Amino acid sequence: MNTLSNRKFINFLAMAISVLCASVGLILLVIILYDVLSQGIDSINFRLFTQDPAPPHLNDSGGLKGAFLGQGLLTLVAAVIGVPIGVLGGTYLAEYGRNAKFSKIISNISDLTASIPSIVIGTFVYAIMVKPMGGFNGWAGATALAIIILPVTLRTTQDMMSMVPWSLREAAFALGAPYYKVIVSIVWRASMSGIFTGVLLAIARVAGETAPLLFTSFNHGFFTLNMQGAVPSLTVSIYQYAASPYANWVKLAWAAAFVVTVMVLILNIIGRLFIRFKVKKG
Amino acid sequence: MENLLMVQNLFFYYGDNEALRDVTLPIRKNKITALIGPSGCGKTTLLRCFNRMHDLYPNNRYSGEILMDGQNILDKKVDLIRLRSSMGMVFQKPTPFPMSVFDNIAYGLKLKGVRNMNVLKERVEKALRDSALWDEVKDRLNHNAGGLSGGQQQRLVIARTLAVEPQVILFDESTSALDPLSTQKIEDLMVELKKEVTIVAVTHNMQQAARISDFTALMYIGGLVEYDETEAIFTRPKHAMTEQYVSGRFG
Repeated sequence: MNTLSNRKFINFLAMAISVLCASVGLILLVIILYDVLSQGIDSINFRLFTQDPAPPHLNDSGGLKGAFLGQGLLTLVAAVIGVPIGVLGGTYLAEYGRNAKFSKIISNISDLTASIPSIVIGTFVYAIMVKPMGGFNGWAGATALAIIILPVTLRTTQDMMSMVPWSLREAAFALGAPYYKVIVSIVWRASMSGIFTGVLLAIARVAGETAPLLFTSFNHGFFTLNMQGAVPSLTVSIYQYAASPYANWVKLAWAAAFVVTVMVLILNIIGRLFIRFKVKKG
Repeated sequence: MENLLMVQNLFFYYGDNEALRDVTLPIRKNKITALIGPSGCGKTTLLRCFNRMHDLYPNNRYSGEILMDGQNILDKKVDLIRLRSSMGMVFQKPTPFPMSVFDNIAYGLKLKGVRNMNVLKERVEKALRDSALWDEVKDRLNHNAGGLSGGQQQRLVIARTLAVEPQVILFDESTSALDPLSTQKIEDLMVELKKEVTIVAVTHNMQQAARISDFTALMYIGGLVEYDETEAIFTRPKHAMTEQYVSGRFG
């Protein structure tokens, strides 16, 4: 057999298979996005943001005011808990503890945590917070989201800081800077856009999570700022309303899906723009 | 001639590896001392002893002394922050901090507690003038230092070092990444600077050592082969190895 044409054929085959696989993934993504966007845009309107959910069969009324606020509240509190711990922990791993065995263990555990299915995190928080506290509550929901944010932020921070060349730190040490100043004014500064991107992508990820909230903050139709009780969220609302038999609730679910998708998309785009900005800068 | 530093029977170990063996040499005040020798001979290791850079990494060990004003700077009790602010260091590759030109120069001053904006401005301008960079950057003090050319960045690092008024500046092959013109500017600058400071320079460039240094030390596998006035090293070396090295026959 002619080996040259044989190799050409295998080359073509490999390319064809990979193109096919990529297309399947891409087509599914396009279908999902198209479905969500086309169905959602029909159902979206101003009262979605200003009204509480209406009873079933009451067409053309009702919104998800409480769920919007709840989603924002849960995500914000989760970020406030998860981001500082992740950034400071990542800083420890990249700097003070860079040679310690302990850091390698932490780093590995963190990577493992990042791949735990989010529903497991939901049930875990249910066991440690919801049951002892006597009911579904917002703090538990925010904690579950924070547990998802934490390892992603930790890893990104560690990676971004490790990319800053050692000579830069040495130059600061050589001027007589103490270690904490080197970290804050040189290393963080040099890796800021990368860390920021990681944080943004982590927040974008939890903004679309349903499973960790199902057993923790639960859901209801009211407008609340009380984190001691159940807090409504868009994602759980989608889950519950989409499965309901009522046409107006299903429409609400589509509208909520549309908004969540667009929000996550925007967060992701901002994150990517930051990466590009960073690459351009050098 | 006054010695600013006296290296006395210095040994240095990276873990179990002996990197410096029984080095003894003086560093003369307001002179340029060049450290030359083949790669891996220990010249950079010696340079980094002067500002205790080795202390940043675990398992490094010194024995022997480096005396400065009668005090052994290798002593555990020495305040490294104060030591390092009296020993500036310029690295092989430029290391501009990710901030503006002005903030780069002011960095060391702020570390020392200088907060007054007028004082800062004055000292930054002086440091930039002394490093022959002022005319090139005076209109872009607020621009990111990363936008300067390699040669300008290296002079910026020198200016940053000068701003804290060190007694010694350590140059670690600081022109090896630069073009000939930038190299010449930095060499001129070093010669100019020795009025104010003492300079120790590691270099792979034999011509550079001959051009700018007053004293030269040749090192080989962790030990000092010969130390003398630069002119003597290059024209009438005492050791056959020195003669061979400076004439380019080994190394």
